[in-house]
Amino acid sequence: MNEQIIWIVLKRLRTPFLVIIVTFSISILGLVLIPGTDPQGNPYQMTFFDAFYFVTYMASTIGFGEAPYAFNYHQRMWVSFTIYFTVVGWFYGIGAIVALIQDEGLRRALNLNIFRKQVQNLHEPFYIILGYNSITKTIINKINGVDYRAVVLDKSPQKIEELVLENFYPHVPASVGDATNQQMLKMSGIHQKNCKGVISLFENDMVNANIATVCMLLNKKIDIIIKATSPEQVAYFHNMGLEHVQNPFDIISKRIYFGITSPHIWLLEMWMYGHILKLKSRDRFPTGRYIIYGNGRMGKAIAAGLKRANVEYVLKSFNSKKYIKQKESTIFGDEEDMQKLIDLGVKESACIIAATKNDILNLTILNSAKQLNPDIFTMARENSLDDLNIFKAAKINKIYVVEKILADATYNFIARPLVDLFIKESRKQTEEWAEIIVNVLNNITGMNPKYYETQLNDENAYALNIELQKGTPVTLASLRRSRENREEMLQIVFLLLKRGDEVYLMPDSQMNLQVGDELLSVADEENYEDFEYIINNIYELNYVLGKEENKKLFSLDMWKENETDEA
Amino acid sequence: MNMHKIISGLFFTLAMTLNFGFFYGDPTQLIEHSAYELFAAIIVNLIATVLKLGDRTQLGAVLLATSIVADIQLIASATVWAFAEYVAQNVGTEATTAIVSLSGGALLANAVSVILFVGDTIKSKR
Repeated sequence: MNEQIIWIVLKRLRTPFLVIIVTFSISILGLVLIPGTDPQGNPYQMTFFDAFYFVTYMASTIGFGEAPYAFNYHQRMWVSFTIYFTVVGWFYGIGAIVALIQDEGLRRALNLNIFRKQVQNLHEPFYIILGYNSITKTIINKINGVDYRAVVLDKSPQKIEELVLENFYPHVPASVGDATNQQMLKMSGIHQKNCKGVISLFENDMVNANIATVCMLLNKKIDIIIKATSPEQVAYFHNMGLEHVQNPFDIISKRIYFGITSPHIWLLEMWMYGHILKLKSRDRFPTGRYIIYGNGRMGKAIAAGLKRANVEYVLKSFNSKKYIKQKESTIFGDEEDMQKLIDLGVKESACIIAATKNDILNLTILNSAKQLNPDIFTMARENSLDDLNIFKAAKINKIYVVEKILADATYNFIARPLVDLFIKESRKQTEEWAEIIVNVLNNITGMNPKYYETQLNDENAYALNIELQKGTPVTLASLRRSRENREEMLQIVFLLLKRGDEVYLMPDSQMNLQVGDELLSVADEENYEDFEYIINNIYELNYVLGKEENKKLFSLDMWKENETDEA
Repeated sequence: MNMHKIISGLFFTLAMTLNFGFFYGDPTQLIEHSAYELFAAIIVNLIATVLKLGDRTQLGAVLLATSIVADIQLIASATVWAFAEYVAQNVGTEATTAIVSLSGGALLANAVSVILFVGDTIKSKR
């Protein structure tokens, strides 16, 4: 690739170089041959050096004057010819070289080269993100530089320019290129050891399928995170051996199912996505009849969820494109529409879900329904993140932003694998179990605790690792002690422990830890910081484990400790 | 047979012959070596180099390399001459031999070019 550019450049430089060499040599030769006159009137012959010097500055239009002596008329006639001759040649040559630098093809080749180098210079693990849009932008914002790096490919140069203007830090290498093109994928580092995976969340399932196939062939070891919107497509991907298929509609359907049947499981999941850990009355899904407006991919998925939850529902088919064409409007709610809503039983229903492809239609459908039945619970599908504010202003009870759900789910999968696992495991539990967990968390860690993922290795748990390698049995309970007073409890809850392929949900506090265990813990920032101190600092750990009793009261008196050690 | 081959062949051979013309003669006597011939050799060599720019074949690359060597030698020779004449103000025997032997080195590079060129022609069956 790199070689090729040089060859193209060199080949195109031939003519300009030839022109410059020929014009210069003719001018120089002429000046050498034409006899001159020195100030004393004696004839003299310019040497090659004199002529070369003069022509060089004359041709480049610098023009220091006549050298070594003022010219006679023979010379001046020749010079006036050569001025035009060389200046034209020089300008042509320079012009051709500048044009070559600005050449679109060359620039593209150079950019690709820079892109390739940047990818090769990534030493952290990275994901290849195909297609730049608001979903992938959210993902990049979340993972870039924190857990992973990102490499972006997009077909459209405008999108790449948008990305460049974002000024991500650390830098996100990006290139214009077809995501289904093997060459481009290779250039994006799909074969690199630190390539963790490929994220392909295109709107079109066909494109995703295409990309998945190509990526599977290129590198079997990487994660392929792919979007699929229909059950058939999901099944197809699973057959291909892809485990990480993201179906946003399926996520919504499951959320509605759990929201209705076991609100605390729903709450746990939503909390992982930033919801406060408390079930407010307005969060509760209503009981009663549901109306789903729009039986597209989302409508069908929700219907499946409702069916599983044994809820009565009506699925109303609605073609937004056809509607817009017929009525020439995206405002739902003329008399005919109102009648339709009444026919569907809006007045007797508890909830209406607007799940069409058009955001404005969704809004107006819900508005019309509210006019007819002010108590109705409203849920809307929102397709793009751009008009989120309108939806918020419209006081809709629940908004499902497909793009955001997709971005969050992908982010969790990539960067918070334990959270992902926890959500999956908690779904297998009962509502009572979830309620207890929520209560426990509320009591110990408050209403809005944070969750942390920690792997017990040298980097994250230096001191604990040393102890574990020595063979000291350390239980979870023995770590859950305050470092100020070990008789008091540290306000932290361990939700999940992952050891190899085994997963322990709510691990037993008497369980012995092992090197390499992964812990999902819940605490506020202060308590988690204490926990980090304990597992990283040998003195803190010894104190908490009760090895050096009464030795110290304050953790920061490190120097004192050293003194006693030396003594 | 194509035009490009003829032209580059011409320039390679011409570069060698002109260089030989300059080189031939008593290496201590500057009068036996013409500045015009050196000038012509430099120009023709430069043209031969440019003609090989961007040639992706193996032979093209080697020819480019040898002719760049010849360029460097010849330009060095001219620089020594100009330096001796204008800065040292005296073109002594030492400077003269340097000028001539530098062009001699270039002559070797030119010869290699021509041999490669001829060899390639013989090798091709048409």
